[in-house]
Amino acid sequence: MAKEPVRVLVTGAAGQIGYALVPMIARGVMLGADQPVILNMLDIPPAAEALNGVKMELVDAAFPLLKGVVATTDAVEACTGVNVAVMVGGFPRKEGMERKDVMSKNVSIYKSQASALEQHAAPNCKVLVVANPANTNALILKEFAPSIPAKNITCLTRLDHNRALGQISEKLNVQVSDVKNVIIWGNHSSTQYPDVNHATVMTPSGEKPVRELVKDDAWLNGEFITTVQQRGAAIIKARKLSSALSAASAACDHIRDWVLGTPEGTWVSMGVYSDGSYNAPAGVIYSFPVTCKNGEWTIVQGLAIDEFSRKKLDLTGVELTEEKELAYSCLS
Amino acid sequence: MAKEPVRVLVTGAAGQIGYALVPMIARGVMLGADQPVILHMLDIPPAAEALNGVKMELVDAAFPLLKGVVATTDVVEACTGVNVAVMVGGFPRKEGMERKDVMSKNVSIYKSQASALEQHAAPNCKVLVVANPANTNALILKEFAPSIPAKNITCLTRLDHNRALGQISEKLNVQVSDVKNVIIWGNHSSSQYPDVNHATVMTPSGEKPVRELVKDDAWLNGEFITTVQQRGAAIIKARKLSSALSAASAACDHIRDWVLGTPEGTWVSMGVYSDGSYNAPAGVIYSFPVTCKNGEWTIVQGLAIDEFSRKKLDLTGQELTEEKELAYSCLS
Repeated sequence: MAKEPVRVLVTGAAGQIGYALVPMIARGVMLGADQPVILNMLDIPPAAEALNGVKMELVDAAFPLLKGVVATTDAVEACTGVNVAVMVGGFPRKEGMERKDVMSKNVSIYKSQASALEQHAAPNCKVLVVANPANTNALILKEFAPSIPAKNITCLTRLDHNRALGQISEKLNVQVSDVKNVIIWGNHSSTQYPDVNHATVMTPSGEKPVRELVKDDAWLNGEFITTVQQRGAAIIKARKLSSALSAASAACDHIRDWVLGTPEGTWVSMGVYSDGSYNAPAGVIYSFPVTCKNGEWTIVQGLAIDEFSRKKLDLTGVELTEEKELAYSCLS
Repeated sequence: MAKEPVRVLVTGAAGQIGYALVPMIARGVMLGADQPVILHMLDIPPAAEALNGVKMELVDAAFPLLKGVVATTDVVEACTGVNVAVMVGGFPRKEGMERKDVMSKNVSIYKSQASALEQHAAPNCKVLVVANPANTNALILKEFAPSIPAKNITCLTRLDHNRALGQISEKLNVQVSDVKNVIIWGNHSSSQYPDVNHATVMTPSGEKPVRELVKDDAWLNGEFITTVQQRGAAIIKARKLSSALSAASAACDHIRDWVLGTPEGTWVSMGVYSDGSYNAPAGVIYSFPVTCKNGEWTIVQGLAIDEFSRKKLDLTGQELTEEKELAYSCLS
């Protein structure tokens, strides 16, 4: 007997990431090849015609798993009954804008969408914030949707996590599926800390630590980190557009692992509401290594943090605390 | 034991359709969730940096099934060892261009790519031409790659087929997965004939003919046909861009059904080298209803063609014959 459809909201659905993401959702990449879905797509009125074009294309693709499409500019209609919400919509930084301006615009958006979600989403709705500043947008959403459990509000650092896996696989000339357990700590920004101290590679002679195989600590502590931190800019330089394909794919990975569980022995990175683990600041959305089971994430505890890493974890934590203060100042 | 990777070429890979298509291929939508793939991506030198950006994003997505990526502007490198070739690259019509100009540009492209494929692709390479004029580009490719079996060279009308399924599902308010066996006859152009005379819908009381359920022959013989024929233009009007998502998805469906077989009792539409079935002109690439098994397509024979349909089949056949003549005149 076929499963009941799951309702998935995508905000900013008329944009680049939305256009890459919705066919992935409709093909079962996000929730499994046997899970029917209904897509709720939201965008702003200037994008209404383009959004309708996306809906038309979804109909034209005759996806067997896609049991309905709602395309709307009304946040209430968009949020009604959703089980999963992927918040891609936000105000992009434009040339000449100050950080405070971007923050201010996005804080208002996420405050108002928080209300709509809280009042109209299905119980236990899982939320993934993609739009930047992702961690702080997610925090604002959490603060203004108090009846949504804090554990259900996350932000995307899986893109950075996957980028880190990719860089290691290229460095070692191994299959990316053989690399695991990198960690992205902290903010989805240039202060993120891509940490390979617990990462491993499956080799013909078993799992080996990445550091041991790479044999180049200078690279791992230097260029590797900056490459992952600045990869977004490198993609923009090459494509003249932001990452959409890889961001959409990472969003699917984030939700899929959250809902269906992480494989045995493997963790992933998710921006989650911090409980102060690893001396990260509590009360911000901070990226941690997590495992997932039965629809719940759990921070992997007890990993050794060396001095080099400690500084990095603290730096990104300080930035998140500052962003939180800035966000609150925009609201008063 | 894991399967050996299949090498898939995408030409025009830096463009819109390519960007939608490559993550679908890398996730197993085209060849199955257990089939590793190696992507070959080709584009022209002006797009080299953007193409490299796409390669970077494919690495960043850490796709488990993606066992390699080749991004190149060299057609020989691109074609070497490929088992599946999806030809998305072509010269788009620009404002003010005459049909003969578009034809002329594309004919030279497909002539030269024919040589490269013939000399360097793996034996039994399956070819799907997407770039318009799809049928005639595929014909040129066939004519100039004589050692590629004619049956291995096809063009995409699955997009039109899926669009027709979508229109019926919307008209009847049923799930698109319950509609089947529409047919797209002829040219992937505005002379295509979307035929529902043998199409059915699965209802609680079994399979019913579409005509019987729709009860509106005027619509089926009129607006339904023109809607499907002109859907591409409707998408451009809404999105300000061509269909990419739905075209990419249809390309995956075309290859998947060809390679893995069509479901029992179901046919699909493919542009294939005509043997004169249904009195279509022989020696052009004409879209027929086909079933697929063991990697081979077979035209569904014996379907009744009424007078209305006969005229439509002939009209689109005539256009294909004219395109063939035009293409040859461009070559001499």
